[in-house]
Amino acid sequence: MKQYLCMLLILFWVMPDVQAQFRIIKGNVTGANDNQPLPGVSVVIKGTQKGTITNAEGIYQLEVSDANTVLVFSYVGYQPQEIAAGNKTDVSVSLAFENKSLDEVVVVGYGTQSQRNVTGAVQTVKVAELADVPVPQLSQKLQGRLAGVQILQTTGRPGGGMSVRIRGQASVSAGNQPLYVVDGFPITGDISTLNPDEIESISVLKDAASTSLYGSRASNGVVMITTKRAKNGETRIALNAYYGVQQLPSRGIPDMMDASEFAQFMKDLNEENKRTVPIEYQNPAQYGKGTDWYKLITRTAPIQNYSVSIGTGGEKFTTNAVLGYFQQDGVIINTKFKRFSVRLNSYYRFNKKVRIGINVAPSVSIFTGRPTDGGPFSSTSGLITSALLSSPIAPAVNPDGSLPVTAVSPGMLQTPNWYRVAREADATDNNTRVLSTAFLEYIPVAGLTLKTSLNAEYGQVRFNNFVPSTSGNVNVAMSRASGDLTQTNTQFLTWLSENIATYEKDFADHHLDVTAGFTAQKFRSDMNNVLATNFPNDKVRTLSAATAFTPTSEIQEWSLLSYLARVNYNFKGKYLLSASIRRDGSSRFGKDNKWGSFPSVSAGWVISDESFMANVRPVSLLKMRSSYGVTGNNNIGNYTYYANVGATGSNGTNNYVFDGKLAAGNNVTTLSNSTLGWEITHQFDFGVDLGLFNNRLSFAYDYYTKKTDGLLFNVQVPTYTGFSNFQTNIGTFKFWGHEVTISSKNLNKGLKWNTDFNISFLKNRVEKLGTANAFLGGGTNRNITMVGQPIGMLWGYVNNGVYMNQEDYNNSPKFQTSNVGTVKMKDVNNDGVITVDDRAIIGNPNPDFIFGISNNFVYRNFDLNIVAAGSVGNDIMNTALEYTNNLDGVFNVAKSVAGRWRSEQDPGDGIHPRTLAGTTGLFRNSNSLWVTSGSYLTIKNIAFGYTFPVNTIKNVKSLRLYASIQQAFVFTRYKGSNPEVNSGGENPLSQGLDVGAYPVPRTFTFGFNVGF
Amino acid sequence: MKLKMMFTVFLLGSLGACKNYIDIAPQNFISSDNFFKTEADFVQAVNASYSALRIVYNEAYIMGEMRSDNAHYIFNSSNRGNLVREEIADFIDNPTAAPVATKWAGNYKIIAYANEVISRIDAATLSETVKKNLKGQVLFLRALAYFDLVQYFSDVPLVVAPISGTADEILNVASTLPRTAKAEVYAQIVKDAQEAATLLPSKTDQEKGRATSGAAKTLLGNVYVVLKQWPQAETVLTEVVNSSQYSLLPDYAAVFNPANKNHAESVFEVQYLQGNLGLQSAFTYTFMPNLTNINPLVGFQFNNQSIGGWNIPSDDLIKSYETGDKRKAASVLDGYTSGGTFVQQPFIKKYFNLPLPTPNGSSPNANDNWPVYRYSEVLLLLAEALNEQGKAGALTYLNQVRDRAFGAGVSQIKETNQAALKTVIAKERRIELAFENKRWLDLVRNGQAIAVMSAYGSALKASGKYPNLIPQTYNVTENRLLFPLPFNEIQVNPKLKQNPGY
Repeated sequence: MKQYLCMLLILFWVMPDVQAQFRIIKGNVTGANDNQPLPGVSVVIKGTQKGTITNAEGIYQLEVSDANTVLVFSYVGYQPQEIAAGNKTDVSVSLAFENKSLDEVVVVGYGTQSQRNVTGAVQTVKVAELADVPVPQLSQKLQGRLAGVQILQTTGRPGGGMSVRIRGQASVSAGNQPLYVVDGFPITGDISTLNPDEIESISVLKDAASTSLYGSRASNGVVMITTKRAKNGETRIALNAYYGVQQLPSRGIPDMMDASEFAQFMKDLNEENKRTVPIEYQNPAQYGKGTDWYKLITRTAPIQNYSVSIGTGGEKFTTNAVLGYFQQDGVIINTKFKRFSVRLNSYYRFNKKVRIGINVAPSVSIFTGRPTDGGPFSSTSGLITSALLSSPIAPAVNPDGSLPVTAVSPGMLQTPNWYRVAREADATDNNTRVLSTAFLEYIPVAGLTLKTSLNAEYGQVRFNNFVPSTSGNVNVAMSRASGDLTQTNTQFLTWLSENIATYEKDFADHHLDVTAGFTAQKFRSDMNNVLATNFPNDKVRTLSAATAFTPTSEIQEWSLLSYLARVNYNFKGKYLLSASIRRDGSSRFGKDNKWGSFPSVSAGWVISDESFMANVRPVSLLKMRSSYGVTGNNNIGNYTYYANVGATGSNGTNNYVFDGKLAAGNNVTTLSNSTLGWEITHQFDFGVDLGLFNNRLSFAYDYYTKKTDGLLFNVQVPTYTGFSNFQTNIGTFKFWGHEVTISSKNLNKGLKWNTDFNISFLKNRVEKLGTANAFLGGGTNRNITMVGQPIGMLWGYVNNGVYMNQEDYNNSPKFQTSNVGTVKMKDVNNDGVITVDDRAIIGNPNPDFIFGISNNFVYRNFDLNIVAAGSVGNDIMNTALEYTNNLDGVFNVAKSVAGRWRSEQDPGDGIHPRTLAGTTGLFRNSNSLWVTSGSYLTIKNIAFGYTFPVNTIKNVKSLRLYASIQQAFVFTRYKGSNPEVNSGGENPLSQGLDVGAYPVPRTFTFGFNVGF
Repeated sequence: MKLKMMFTVFLLGSLGACKNYIDIAPQNFISSDNFFKTEADFVQAVNASYSALRIVYNEAYIMGEMRSDNAHYIFNSSNRGNLVREEIADFIDNPTAAPVATKWAGNYKIIAYANEVISRIDAATLSETVKKNLKGQVLFLRALAYFDLVQYFSDVPLVVAPISGTADEILNVASTLPRTAKAEVYAQIVKDAQEAATLLPSKTDQEKGRATSGAAKTLLGNVYVVLKQWPQAETVLTEVVNSSQYSLLPDYAAVFNPANKNHAESVFEVQYLQGNLGLQSAFTYTFMPNLTNINPLVGFQFNNQSIGGWNIPSDDLIKSYETGDKRKAASVLDGYTSGGTFVQQPFIKKYFNLPLPTPNGSSPNANDNWPVYRYSEVLLLLAEALNEQGKAGALTYLNQVRDRAFGAGVSQIKETNQAALKTVIAKERRIELAFENKRWLDLVRNGQAIAVMSAYGSALKASGKYPNLIPQTYNVTENRLLFPLPFNEIQVNPKLKQNPGY
C-alpha cells in the first residue's frame, strides 16, 4: 500500500503542460499469472495528480485531455506498467508480479550488491514499512522483524536503552552491540539518537563474509543504515505526525502490602522478636489502604512526533532535508525524552565522471529525570524499587499539601519520600551530535570508480544533575545540609578518511568486481566532571553558587588504520564467488600485537538458473550459499595493555598523609599485557533461499556456527597478587543456530494478506575460560559462566521451602543460622550442612528460540498491520524479591509474605519463612524461588490505517490516517513488569536479572502522513 | 597510462599514513615504563604503599576488637546490610564475609606496592640516604602486613616480588600459589623488620608519620612476643626504650586527640587528614550509636543510622576498669544527653574528639589517626618478655603505664609471682590498649580465647539484652581462632586450601 502510494507520489510531481482536450479511456486490469481481474489498481495519468482506481471487476474509466497521455498502472506486489494511450479509448493491461526480493539492491560493506548475487547472510528492511510504529528508536521498530537478531526493550524509560544482539554474540567484557554504519561511516556509539524518519533502509550483516570488511569491529555483526535522499526528477514535501497516550497496563504491577497489612506485619514481627510494638503498629485496622507509592510515581503520559521532509532532485543536484521533533513524557513522573533532529543530504554531479555528496545531520537529544531502573536506594539507580519498599502508612503528601522529606515508619530503613525525590529531580542529559559525511567520486574510465570520503562525528554529552537538599537518599533521609550538583561534560570527535577504488567488468559470461582501499580513523574524547557541594540554598543551582568542588577529567583516544580488499566473481550469474580481507592496526592493541588480519570467503549457486530446473515450474528461486571468515572485536578499552601507574587504586586514592599534609602517592595499579589483542570470531554460514510460485512464497534458511576465541576478560586473579584482575585474551565461546524466514502473500485478491515470519534457534556454550577454567561469577554472584554450560547461567541456592516443624528441622541439613520456620535450602554437595558451597545452577537466561511475526492486511483503502515478537525458553531471576520478600521489617513487602511461617500450628504457605531476627539473612540470597520462566509473546504493534484516494483534497498528493497500539498485549508467565528486562545491561555474564525496571507502557497513537 | 597514474597516486596516499598513527600513549596516567626513574617517583610509590594501610585499619576493629570480649554492636533492626559484622562478632561468620576479604586484600595491596619499590630501588640512581630510608619504610610495611595476615589466617601465600611476565606466567604461575607455611612467613617478617630497623632513621630524623627504626623494632618485638622468643623480644624492645625517642604523654586522653598527632608516645600510627580527599577517617562515626540524628552527640545534624552502632564497649570491659583508672573516662562514654534526658548507651570515647569537622554531605569526616604502636605497648611488651623469662624489671615498665593511668604511685602492681603477673599484664593490655585491635589476638596467643569468649557469649545470651543471638552463636571452637580465607580467593585459586571448619 505504501509502495503504491510512493509510486504515485513520484509520478505526480512531473507535471507537463496540460491542454484541454477531453476524452474517456476505459479498460480492465488483470493479473498476469491467473488472468483474474485486479480491483483497486491505481491508474494515473503520468505527470499529473489525476487518476482513479479499478473497481471490483478490475475495470476503470478515466477522462484524459491529450494524445500524449501516458497511463501508469500500479498495484502493490505487482510491477508497475506505463502505457502510452495514444488515441486509444480502451487500454487494458495485465500486471506481472513484482519479483521484489530478487533484483533488489542491497547495501553491503563498502558497496552494494544485487540481492541475487549476495553470498553472505544479509537481511534488509525498508524503514517505510515500519512507519506506523510510534517509537523514537529504529531498533524498537525492528523488534520482531529480523531473523537471528534479538532486540530487547529492557526498559520503558523514554529514550532508554535497547539491546541488540546479532546471532547471540557475546563477549565477556568487550560488549555485544553491533557496529552501526551510517551511510558508510562506522559511528562510535549506537543509533538511539538517530531519528528513524531520516532512514531509508537498513541492512543487517550477520555472517563473516558480509561483515569481515569491517575487520576488528565486525564480530558483533554490522547494521548498515542508509539515510533518505531525494529521488531524481521529484520534488516532494511530506509531513508525518502522530500523537499518543501511554498507559501502564495492570499486568506486572508489584503487589505490595497496603497500610493495614503492613502494620500487621510489623506488629507480628516485633512480637516474634520480643520487641516492644511501636505505637504506630498497635492497631493495624485503623489504616486501610494507605499510600500507594507505585501509583504516586506513575502516570499516563503523552508521546508525540512531528517530522517534515523536503526533497528535490534534478539532473545535477539533489537534496533532501528531514526535520524532526519527538517528545515522550515518561509514565514515571518527571521523566522525559525530547529530540530535535535535522538531516540534510545533498549530491551534486559535475559531469558523468565526477560527483560529490555532503550529508550533515545534527541532533539534540534531551533525557530528563533521575535514574529509575535497577537496585534501590542509590542516587544512580532504582527509584521504582525504592518507592515500592516505602512504608504505606507514611504519607507522601501532608494534609496541607506540602511534601514530607522522609517516609519512614518505626524500625524501617531510613528512606526519603521517594515521591518527593522523583518530583524534585533536576537531572538532564543533553546529547548533541553532528554526523557528517562528504565524498568525492571520480570515474576515470568506465567500470572504475575512485571514491574518497571524509567523515566526522562530533558529540557532546552534558549531564547536569542537581539534587536539592530536600531530596535525600537512603540513610540521609532527613533534609540534608545542602544540595549537590554533578556536572559532566564529555566531548568527542571522531574522523574517518576512506579511500576506496572499485572496478567492475564483464568478460563474456564472467563478471568481476574488485574493491580495494585504505581507511584511517581517529577518536578523541575529553571528559570533565565536577561534583559541587555546599550550596547556600536550593534556588541557585549553578556551579558558581557552590563553595566546594571535586573535579575529575579524562582523555580517551584511539586510532585505527586499515587496508581492505574484496573480489566478487560470478559466472553467468549462477556461480558466485567472493573473497575479502581487511587488515587493521589499532592503538588499542598491545605493543607486540599491533596488526590483525580478517579474511573471508564465500560461494553461492543459483540452482534455479540451471537448465535442469527450467521445468520445475513452482520454483522461482533456489539458491545455496555458504561462507567462512574471521572477524574481530576491538572493544577492549583504549589503554588496557599498559601497566597503569596511578594515583587511584582499587580501593581509593593512593595518596597519603605525612606531617598533617597530603603526600602524593602513585603506584602500579594494573598489570601490563603487551600482547593484548582483539577477540577473534570464526564463523561458518550455510544458507538456502527458496522462492515458490513466482516468489509468492519465499523462504530463507541459515545455519551458522561461530567460535569466539581470545575473549578479552578481566580474569580475576587472587588478590594476594595485589591486583584483583588481569585483562587478557583467554577463553572461548561457541555459538550456533538456525534461522528461518518465511514470507508469504497469503491472499492477493480483494483482500490482500501478507505474512512475514522469522524464527531463530540460538545456542551457545562456554568452551574454555581463564586460569584452570575457573568459572566467572558464581560464589555470591547471581550468574555463573562455566565451561560446558551456556553463558551466564543463573546461580544460587535451591529453595526447598521452610523447615515446617521440629521434626523437619531435625532431619534436614541446616545452615549456620537455621531454625524451625526458616528457609530450607537444598544440600547440593551432600555434606550434611548448608554452606556457601551449596549453590547451583538454577536457571538459564538464554532463550531456546526467538521469533517474530507480522501480518499485513489491505482491503481497498484500509490497511491493518500486526507485529508480534517473542522469546521462548529463557529464565528470569527477579532479584527485586531480595527486597520485596525481606523479612527483617525494614521495608514494605509483597502481599504474599503474609503467608509466612508463624508456628508449627500455623506454618503458612511453606514458601515464606519466619521473621526471627538473626535467621533471615539466608533468604535474602539468590535462590530458586526468584527464578521463573521468562518466555513471552508480545503483540508489539497493531496499526490500522486509511489511505485517502488520490485527488480527494486539492494540492495534497497523498494522505493517510492511522491509529495504532504499541505494546498492545504481553503474554507471559513472568510476574515482573517487563519480560524483556535485563538489568545486567550489555554484559552477557549477568543476563536474565530483574533488579527493577521501568515498565513498558501500552501506547495508543493517532497519526497521519501527508504528502504535498 | 592515466589509469596507472591514478593507482600510483592512490597507493602513495595510502603509504603516506603516519607510521606512528596507531601508537597513542595514555594521557590519564603514567605507564610503568615511564615511572620509577626519579627520587620523586620512588617517594610517591612508597607513599602509595602507606595508603593501603587505610583499607586495613578502617575495618580492623571488626576482626580485632568486636570478635573479642571488649566490644559488641547495637542490633540495627532497620538496616541489615552489615549482617556480616554481627556474624563475625557472634562467631557465626562464613568465608564470604567482606571484612575478611578486605583485610586480606588490603594487606596484600601494601605488600604489592612495597614489592614494586623493593624490586627496583637497589638499581635506581638515588642518593644512598634516600634509598635506605625509602627501602626501610617499605620493608617495614611489608613486614607489618604479613604479620597481620599470619596472625589472622595462619599460612598465607608469601609474595616478595612484583607480579609480572607474560599472560601465561601471570595466570598459571603467579596466580596459583599455595599457602606458605607460617614459619616461613614469620622468617620473612623477621628478616624484613630487622633490615628495616637498620635502614630506617630514628623518629627525630624522620618525617612525621613515616616508619622509623623504633617502629621497626617495636614490630619486631611484637613478632618475637607472638613467637614466644622472649630473649630476642627483650633485646629489641629494650633498644626502643633506651633510644630516648619515646615517652608516655602525661594525660592518657591526650594520646588520642588528633591535635597531638604523632606525639612523643606514638611509635607508628596510620595517618588521616580531614577533608574530602579520601584521606579522612570515619571510625568515630562507626563507633557512635546508630542514631538518625547525632546532633545531641556532635552538635550538628547527621544521619548515622547506617554507619554507626559498631564496636560498642561491652559491659564486661566496662566492669573491668578499676576504680580510679583515668583511662575509663578517656576510653568509654556511658551515653549521651538528648533533649535533656540522659540516654544510657555506651560508646567509644577514645576517637570521639569534639569538635568534629563538617561532614562531607552524608559521608563522615574526621581527623583521627589510628594508633598501631604506642610507647605504652612497648613497655607492656617488654614487661611481658621479662616476666616470661622470670627476669626482674617487668614491674618497672608495667608501673610506668599504671602511674600514668592512676597517678604516680597510686595503684602500682607489686605482684611478683610469674603466672599471676602474666595475668595482670594481660589485663593491663586489655585496658590500656582497649579498642586498638589488640584484644582478640591477645586472647588467641594467650590461649584464652575459647574459654573467655564462650563464657562471654553465655553471659550475653543470659542477659536477655540481645534477643537476636540465636542458639548457634558463640560456639567458640579451636577452628574459630583463625579466620576463613576469603571465599573468592579460593574460588579463583583452588590451590589455596580453606582453614578447617569453614
